[in-house]
Amino acid sequence: MARPVALSIAPGAILFTIFFLAPFAVLIGSSFASWGGVDFTFTGWDNYRTMIQDPVFWKAVRNTLFYSAVSIVVQVPFGVVIGIILSQKLPGWRTFRTVIFVPFVISGAAYALVYAAFYNSRYGLLNQALALVGADGKDWLYDTGTARSAVAATFAFIIGFTVILVMAEIASIPRELYEAAETDGASLLQQHLRITLPLLRNVIGTCVLVRLLGDIGMFDVVFILTSGGPNDSTVTLALYAYRAYLDGAWGYANAVGTTILVIGLILIVTVRRAFRIGERAL
Amino acid sequence: MLSSFKTADQFNSGSGFWPSPFTLSGYLDAFTQVRLHEYVANTLLYAVGGTAGALTIALLAAYPLARYRFRGSGSITAAFSLALAVPLVGLATPEFFIMRELGLFNSRPGMVIFYAALMFPLSFVVLRSFLAGLPPELEEAAHIDGAGYFAILRTIVLPLSRPALATVAVVSFVLIWNEFFFANLLTVSQRNQNVQLALAGFKSQFGSNVTGSLAGATLVMIVPVVLFLILQRQVIAGLTAGATK
Repeated sequence: MARPVALSIAPGAILFTIFFLAPFAVLIGSSFASWGGVDFTFTGWDNYRTMIQDPVFWKAVRNTLFYSAVSIVVQVPFGVVIGIILSQKLPGWRTFRTVIFVPFVISGAAYALVYAAFYNSRYGLLNQALALVGADGKDWLYDTGTARSAVAATFAFIIGFTVILVMAEIASIPRELYEAAETDGASLLQQHLRITLPLLRNVIGTCVLVRLLGDIGMFDVVFILTSGGPNDSTVTLALYAYRAYLDGAWGYANAVGTTILVIGLILIVTVRRAFRIGERAL
Repeated sequence: MLSSFKTADQFNSGSGFWPSPFTLSGYLDAFTQVRLHEYVANTLLYAVGGTAGALTIALLAAYPLARYRFRGSGSITAAFSLALAVPLVGLATPEFFIMRELGLFNSRPGMVIFYAALMFPLSFVVLRSFLAGLPPELEEAAHIDGAGYFAILRTIVLPLSRPALATVAVVSFVLIWNEFFFANLLTVSQRNQNVQLALAGFKSQFGSNVTGSLAGATLVMIVPVVLFLILQRQVIAGLTAGATK
């Protein structure tokens, strides 16, 4: 049995080595080097030193964390509440669940184009609506004061994923728990606060984690909407690393890439701890 | 989306919420100026090829790792699964470098292989946990009847895994269809690019053609949306399994 098993795992192991392990080694190794794809010289911590002295890098860190915070603070609580409401199976819940999930399967690039039109300073829906009520419009994406919030608003309300996970988890909660609470005279709100929410801890943690992983690597929406501008006010870490790569500063790009992975790792461990993911809920 | 049916003049004059006159010129631009259909063909190739590759390789690896315990089986499983939690954009430059060294940069077969690799961890994790939950009796019976490893895999495990394969397939298809970052990094010529890049091109090349770009966006988002509406159950099951396992 040993031979076929090894043969069976081999293709996966090869793909994994080429596209995950090797890049990982290249990433970390070259982050300590000056490298443009050809000439390679080790320079120790130089890249990291340059990085922490660059104000744009810190802007990218702040923006990435800002985008993550916005998406978590809006998406997760809204998603949980709507998930709980939909789980009551009120009439039409199926249709509503579908509608609320659709935005999740639309690509960032498509979103970016729709929002670019929406924010368009002269013809966009937003400024037209503001004009109707007599308010002044803005050039939302080209104003350092509003660009970052305008970008964040494009993904803050994509809550379908949380809703789906929450509903799946609620479906697995035994009905008896609620029946017992009801006989004890607990109101519907009390039941959800005391039974549903604590049992959702794991799933809420998972949603936070999945969002974080997506947001740390945020690229496409920002790249298409603003390319990080104006004045780097919307730049993310992924975009910052990508710029270095375009400039041929590969070693530097990889120091930033390593930083992205390290921040990701820290956040994952923190969230898993905070929500005690993997431990039994009861 | 309504604006995609407006004429450029109407959009630019900002008059009226409803398209009037109703026009498909934005859609015509999407095909004649940007040649969207060529990008669609590439994207279909990547999404179908990458998904098929990932599923095949993941099933091959997931079955033994779900069924047998041997030296290293735990760490291999952990390593494959951990790849799911890495923010891959951090690996941009190394992936570019490796694709270039392997002669896979800016090539259609290269992108199919890359997307198969990209979808491998997710497919592996979902399939492994599904297979671990299957009772082994059928396979044992086949083994006693003298069937070899790969025969059992093909005739018993493969048909039984169909529901799990279907869910992963839908999710993987949508993820590859929507993929932007690595498509942008790993392809340069138009003839190898996917629809998401076509959309980005729409914005830069035809900065003023907002109705055209909205038409493009509409066409590009229709595919995953329709797929989701038809296969809702699979998409939901796949995402739930991928996130919680």
